[in-house]
Formats: sequence, structure tokens, C-alpha cells
Amino acid sequence: MRCDYACGTHEGLSRRSFIGGTTAGALSMLGFNGMTQVQASKKLASQQKQVVVFWLSGGVSQLETWDPKPGAETGGPFQAISTSAPGVQISELLPHTAQQMHHLALVRGINTKENDHGKGGYIMQTGRKKQPGFAFPYLGSSFSSHLSAPDSPLPGYISVGAGGSSKESTFLGPRHAPLVLSGGRAPSNLELHSSMQADRDKVRRNLRSKISRRFEQKRKTAHTEVYNESFDQAAALMSKRDVFDFSKFSDKDVERYGKHDFGRHCLMARQLIEKGVTFVKVGHTNYDTHSENFNFHIEQLGEFDKPFATFISDLYDRGLLEHTLIICMCEFGRTPRINSRIGRDHWGTAWSVALGGTGIKGGAVSGKTNETGTKVIDREVNGGHLFHTYYQAVGLDSTEEFYPNGQPIAKADPKAEPIKEILA
Amino acid sequence: MFRTNMRVCVLLLVIFLLNALPPKIASAAPPQLSEAPLVAKKPKAAPGKSLHKIIDEQIQSEYKDLTKSVSTISSDGEFLRRVYLDLTGRTPSITKTREFLNDSRSDKRAILVDQLLASPEYARYTSQQLDVILMRRLSKKYINVSTWEEYLRKSVAENKPLDQIVREIFAADGSNKETQAAARFYLARAGDVNELTRDIGKIFLGADLTCAQCHDHPDVNEWKQDHYYGISAFLIRSFVFTDKKKKQTVFAEKAEGEVKFESVFEVRDKTSKGAETTLPVVFNGPKISEPAFKKGEEYQVKPAKDVRPIPKYSRRAQLGVSITSPQNRRFARTMANRLWAMMLGRGIVHPLDADHSDNPPSHPQLLEILTDQMISHQFDLKWYLREIVLSETYQRSSANDLFNKKSAEKLDDSRFTHAIMKPLTPEQFSWAVLQATGYADIHRKSLKKKLTEESLRKKLLGYEKRFVTLFGGLPGKPVEGFETTADQILYLSNDGGIQGLVMPSSGNTADRVLKVPVDQPDKIAEELYLSVLNRHPDQTETEEVTKLLQGKAGVERSQMVSDLVWALVMSSEFRFNH
Repeated sequence: MRCDYACGTHEGLSRRSFIGGTTAGALSMLGFNGMTQVQASKKLASQQKQVVVFWLSGGVSQLETWDPKPGAETGGPFQAISTSAPGVQISELLPHTAQQMHHLALVRGINTKENDHGKGGYIMQTGRKKQPGFAFPYLGSSFSSHLSAPDSPLPGYISVGAGGSSKESTFLGPRHAPLVLSGGRAPSNLELHSSMQADRDKVRRNLRSKISRRFEQKRKTAHTEVYNESFDQAAALMSKRDVFDFSKFSDKDVERYGKHDFGRHCLMARQLIEKGVTFVKVGHTNYDTHSENFNFHIEQLGEFDKPFATFISDLYDRGLLEHTLIICMCEFGRTPRINSRIGRDHWGTAWSVALGGTGIKGGAVSGKTNETGTKVIDREVNGGHLFHTYYQAVGLDSTEEFYPNGQPIAKADPKAEPIKEILA
Repeated sequence: MFRTNMRVCVLLLVIFLLNALPPKIASAAPPQLSEAPLVAKKPKAAPGKSLHKIIDEQIQSEYKDLTKSVSTISSDGEFLRRVYLDLTGRTPSITKTREFLNDSRSDKRAILVDQLLASPEYARYTSQQLDVILMRRLSKKYINVSTWEEYLRKSVAENKPLDQIVREIFAADGSNKETQAAARFYLARAGDVNELTRDIGKIFLGADLTCAQCHDHPDVNEWKQDHYYGISAFLIRSFVFTDKKKKQTVFAEKAEGEVKFESVFEVRDKTSKGAETTLPVVFNGPKISEPAFKKGEEYQVKPAKDVRPIPKYSRRAQLGVSITSPQNRRFARTMANRLWAMMLGRGIVHPLDADHSDNPPSHPQLLEILTDQMISHQFDLKWYLREIVLSETYQRSSANDLFNKKSAEKLDDSRFTHAIMKPLTPEQFSWAVLQATGYADIHRKSLKKKLTEESLRKKLLGYEKRFVTLFGGLPGKPVEGFETTADQILYLSNDGGIQGLVMPSSGNTADRVLKVPVDQPDKIAEELYLSVLNRHPDQTETEEVTKLLQGKAGVERSQMVSDLVWALVMSSEFRFNH
């Protein structure tokens, strides 16, 4: 395979800085209609479930992380190490994470049958294969709509260093689109201009809506609704701007998490979870290792391991892990076969994901691959099973349906079921 | 398959010509006509209707029972704002707005269109749109961006045929000072053969061939790995070369190098017969054979350390010719479709890079006609845009009673029964804001005799760039469709740069409004609405303004006027080109 460029990855192997747009609104593809879920949301919101996704973009190698095969021809140079979960071994590249394994469960039997970055990412974040003409909401948007209080001034879905598009929320509407914190910074202009007063601002914003509504009367409103809603969201953000004050991390914390972007992003995620944000996506990139797979994994996982482990242990210490689900995933795994450039290519056939926190049985392992890691030999699952599992872990019924425009859309693929053995 | 299409289209052309010609000639003509070459007729020799009339016939023939649901023709105000935005990238001044609304000539729309097409702003804005299409807002690499922008601006100003622009871009290697700017297409992509292949397919051929790099396209039957590598083959010998002495980076080429490909599926299933190769070829066109040279005689300048090699035969030199060849209808068709989408808000084939048989055009006949006319008019950009904006189809209102009744499913955007509301491009948005708030007029005045399009733009460039950064998407990934982000709204709401525009300042909109005598509330509302939304306020709106300002004086009054300007500029009516 030489999908090293054209498979649509924007990562490459360079340290390209990703200046994501800060996204508060979304293209509402099917109009506003996710409102039938309001009651369920209210009920669950009272239980305060939260979710953090670690998105290892490019596709981390399962063999260098959760499903090591030391000694196999496909295994690569690294050893497996024991962890805090009895009987569970992971790669020696994750020594800190190994100490948190009793909080984590592994799913080692994933077969998504998809080797394309875009499509793999879609499956993992929507639980479905891409279907022409229909757009499923992304995980962050779904959980934002289910778990965040309808009247919360905070966005339900914030992405830190992980990009994101306002189109992710599809029919759930702009309220549940990701707010992307570009460059790991709080949004600028969170305060009123010095010449403006709050009551005056309110008057002019009301006036703006009134003028807009008159115009929209006989027009198609899919886009204008998004635009109007984003003014309300901006106002809500301004009222909660302390949530985005990332200037107060202690030196000790900065030391513990590491003085790099990912460490800082994990700290930001910790703060956002503490302040009650429902869904936080944290990105770590550069795993598309078509060449030099092992060197890149030493480097990338060397950066990832400690802050990830520290994050889990901090959440545990602060009592947050009890109601926070943690998911560490990516588009796909990497080929067991090591190519001529000492790389591993895209591989959706037999790979792993790690879960932890609320609703998850720490130390559990589901699924098994063969000796060389080329095939799932026990408990094969796909994106659909994972989605059911995420829903169940936070106490939601994954067999329910959305009703955009009155048409039932199953929340998770009806052909799949939850991975019960890792649920607490 | 394009051969078949071509036959269909010849047939259509014939049918159309038959209709257009007087009956006598028509009965005599068929034998000759059916054998007439596809790319015949110069525009002036072509009989009958102008393209805008044909567009309307084609679109309207599709309405059938939709006649009742078609939007009316836009009001003068709506048309004025729309055509200004589309052709010059800004909204009209209050003076121009008044003048146009009061003009009673029946052909005033056509007159305006010709004025706008002749303006320097047309060249600047249209070239910016071409730039986004060609460069996807990529950052600077090797080639100075402003020289590239100037190259495009000049090309549009002299109405250089589109195919010629494309040939120039493909011919430029960056070594020659005069053509250096055009090499940005290759060099900003660092000469990457895969990135170039992808973008050439998407931009010029209406085909996102990305998936066909590793195997035949899984979802589009007719897109093969051969198509991907046929285009790659033009570029496989090219590489970025930096001449250290001249301190110049160019796109150089070797005399050897072939594409090699095999399907990863076949490799996996062990059915592969080994790697294949192909000569350069654009889709199903002729493969481009090449001269053979004796070993050792392939070069004019042989490769050596720090020397730029020059082969006797350049594969890359064939690229522009092959892409723009009239035999390659995909190019004309894609250009016709892209420009249509630019003006109408949606392609006839949509998405624009998914032109294949499983994604048929909304109006196949019309697209064939546009393609033919694009070719027969020698890729005349200005003529084409003019015909589009003169059509009723373009001039329909975006308003429609059916939207109100929520029985709007009949009004599918792809039928063009109504004007699709297009989000303002970042360039349009910035210029429109500066025009509506009066900031642009202040600079026009202060420049006095030095006022030119260029000198004015220099004054406004800071804002334009800010808007492009905030609203334009990421380099290489420009915003498509409509997205809105918290950054944008917080900027529009709270940034000093915007607040400064809406506060009264000598000669700006708020200032002018404040100078209208307090006892003429109608005039106050009119000044506001004509300046910002380019239309008269209705009664409700006039009353609203009057009420808000009633009894207010001094600072209070001035703040309310600023807030009114802000509310109008930030309204959805302003944010979209409707």
C-alpha cells in the first residue's frame, strides 16, 4: 500500500501545526428535530455523566500499544510488560499507562474493514459506515445532546487540539457541534468591547435577531438558523469565560503532564471536565507511520503515555472517574506486516481500542487476535458494537432511536450489540 | 463513455439548432449539421438565442408542475446587491443604490452588469475566486503570493481565456521571471505528485480520484487506477529543484521515470499480476506516446550535482495541452459547472468533483449545452458570467411563499426554482462590512485623486486578511458550504476592529445617519437601510427605527445608531448573498 498521501490524511508525518477553526455552530442537514430527546436528556443530565475521547489521529499501532506480539515475525522490537491489571500485558512503550490498567478495559477484536482515514474516522466516530445521502451525528454531538442539560450555557462538546467540524452534529443541530479550541487557546474576544455595556449588548443582539427573523420568513432557513444560534452560543460562552481560563495551572501540574502541547491539552481537558463540560475530545497526532513505525511510536507514545496516565489517575483521585467515560481510539490500527520502509500501513482488520472509567470493568479484556495479529480469532466486533458499549457505559439505552423529521434512526447499529464483558 | 455523451450532445445541439433556425433552413440543413464538428461555430456566427435564454428554457422546461412554486424575479434591491457581490465582491454604495433604484430604464439590469464587468473590482474579485479554486488557500511556498495574485488579476482583467490561463499554469516551471508566478500551482504543493494528481482531478476534471490511487475507485465504477496514474504520469518525472547560485526554486524534470501501480486488493488476494505502468493520459483520451532517444542522448542539459537537468522531451509540457484539449470535454464541462456553482450556489453536477454516472447532473442537457458553448466561446470567462447573471434563473428571488408554508420540499435547491442563499465569501464579507459601515467611503474620499481599486484595497487589506483567516477555513482546506464558529461570532460581536466601524466617525454610516434631522424619522431609517441592506425599509422597519431613537439625544442617540448599524450588518440578511 502506498496510501501515504492520498488517503486523505492531513497529518502526514510532519509536525504540521493544526489551526482548527473554533466551531460553535453546525450545518443542520435535516433541520432541527432532535428535540424529542429533551426529557431523556434531562433525566440523564442529573446523573452528570461525562466523556473524554483521546483521538490518536493517523492510526496508532495496536502492536505497539494494546495488543503487543513480542517475538512474532510481525511483532516488532518491543516487549510486552505486565500491568496493574492481573494477567493483562501491554507494550513496554506505555509504562505509565500500564500502572492505570486496572481502570481500563481493552477491546482487542476490532474489525472495521476500513483502511481509509476519512471513512475509518467516520466509522469510529459515528458507529456506522458512511452512507450516501445520510449523515449520522458524531459521538461528541450525540453525547452532548443526551448528557448535557438543555439550558446549560456551556457547549456540550469541546475539542482540544483535535480539530472538528460544525457539520458533525448533523440533525442534532448547532447546539451540539464541537467548539474547537484552536492552538490550545481559549477563544479570543470572550469579553465585551470596552465601549459596550451588557444591557446595551443585549438590546442590539435582540434587534439583530428580530431583523433576521423578518428576512427569513419566506426563505430557506437551514443556514440562517445556524448563524443565528451561533450568536446565542457566543453569548453563553462569554458568560462562562472562566471555564476557558487556562492560565492557572500549577508548575507541579505542568511538570506532571509534560511541557508539550499534548500535556497542556490534557490539563485543559481535566479543567473542562471539572467545570462540567459533557464531552471533551483531545487529539494527539502523527501516528500515520507508513515509514519508521517504531521510531515514530517511541517518540509519539513517549509523549502520550505519561499525561494520559496522569489524567486517568487525577480523575480517579478527584472522584471524577466514577462518572466519566474514557475512550482512547483512532481511525484504524496498523498492519502487522512491516513494510520495506520499516513502516506499518493502514489496518482496519484486527486492532484495539482502550476504554475506562464509568460503566467499564477495569482490567477486562475482550477479543483476541492470532499469534501474528493478522486476524481476530475471538469476539470480533466493529464500530457498531463499540457505540452500543459507549452508550451503555454512560447509562443510555443504545437501542433507542433518534427521530430527525419523524424518521427513526437507530442510535447505534441495530445489527450490533454492546460488548457486555467489559461493562461493569 | 464520453464518446457516447458527445454523440448525445451533438444530437441535442442539432435539435436545439433546429428549433432556433428558421424552418426553411432547418429542413435543408440536417445532413450537414449532424456531421458538423462538435467544436464548431464561433459565437457570432451561431444563430439564434443567447445563452441566458437557453439557460432559462432548459431550467424552466424542468419545472413542469412547479410553475406555481417558482420564485418571482428578484426586486431591484435584491438583484443589485446580489450582482454587485457576485461580480465585484462588495455591496453597492448608498449613492449607487439610490441611483439604481430610481433608474426607470427597462434595461437597467443589463447596463449595470456591463458596468460591473468592466470595473477593476470585477477583475480583482473574480481572480480571488479563481485563486481559491486553484490554490485552496494554500500558504506561501517558494513563489511570492502577491505576484501570483497579480498574475491572476491581470489575466482576468484582460479576459484571458480560461483554458489559456490553465495552460500557462501548467507550463510555468518558475525559472522564467515573467511566468514565475504561475508556477505557484506546482510549487505551493511542493511538486508532490499525489497532491497534484488529486487537485488536478478535482479542480479541472470534476473527479476526486483520491481513492483510485491504491485501487480502482471502490464507489465509482468508471474511475480506475489507470485514470489516477494516467495523470500522475505527466508529473512523475518532475521534482522541485533549488538552484543555490540563483537562489531560485523551480519545478525541474528528468528524462526518465515511470508510474508503477497495482491494486492493493489484488496484492492482498494474491491475484496481482505485478506492477503496471501507463503513459500519460487524461481519462479515456489518447495515451501520449513519446519520442525515443538513444541512451545518453535524452538530455539537453544532463543531470549533475547542483545542475538542473533539462530533458529533450518534457512529459509535463503535455499536461496543459491535454487537459484543455477540446477532445477532453471533462475540462470544459467542469469549468462550466464550477462557474455555474460560483454564481448559482450549487453545481449542476454536485458535488463539483463527483462528476460520474452514479451522480448525474440535475440538468444533463443544460450542462451539455454549457459545455459546448464554453468550448465554442473559447473559454470566455466574462461572456459566460454575463450570460449567467442575465438569465432569469440567476435573477430569481431567494424568497418564496412555499418556504413560509413549510411545504418546501418541492423547492429542492437542485431545481433552481429560487435563488440559493450563498454565504458571503470571506472577501465579500469583509468588503461588504466596510462598505455598509461607510469605512470604505471614508477611504475613497481621503484618497482623492489617488483613488484606484489598488490604492483602496491597500487601505482595506488588513480587514480582508482578517476575515479570510477567520472565515476562510484552513490552508488547503477552504470552507465549503456554510460553517460558523465561535471565533467568528466573538470577533463580530466584541472585537475593537468591528466596534470601531459601527461607531460614528466623520463620514461613515453612523455619522451620516446622525446628521439626518431628528424630525425626519423616515429619512433616518432610509439612510440606514439603503446603506447597509441596499433596500428601502418597510413600514415596520421604519417604525422600529423611529421608536428606538425616540427621545434619545447625545451619547445615547449615537450609541443607539451604532447598535442599529451593528444589528443590520450582523443580520442574516447581510451574512448571505440572497
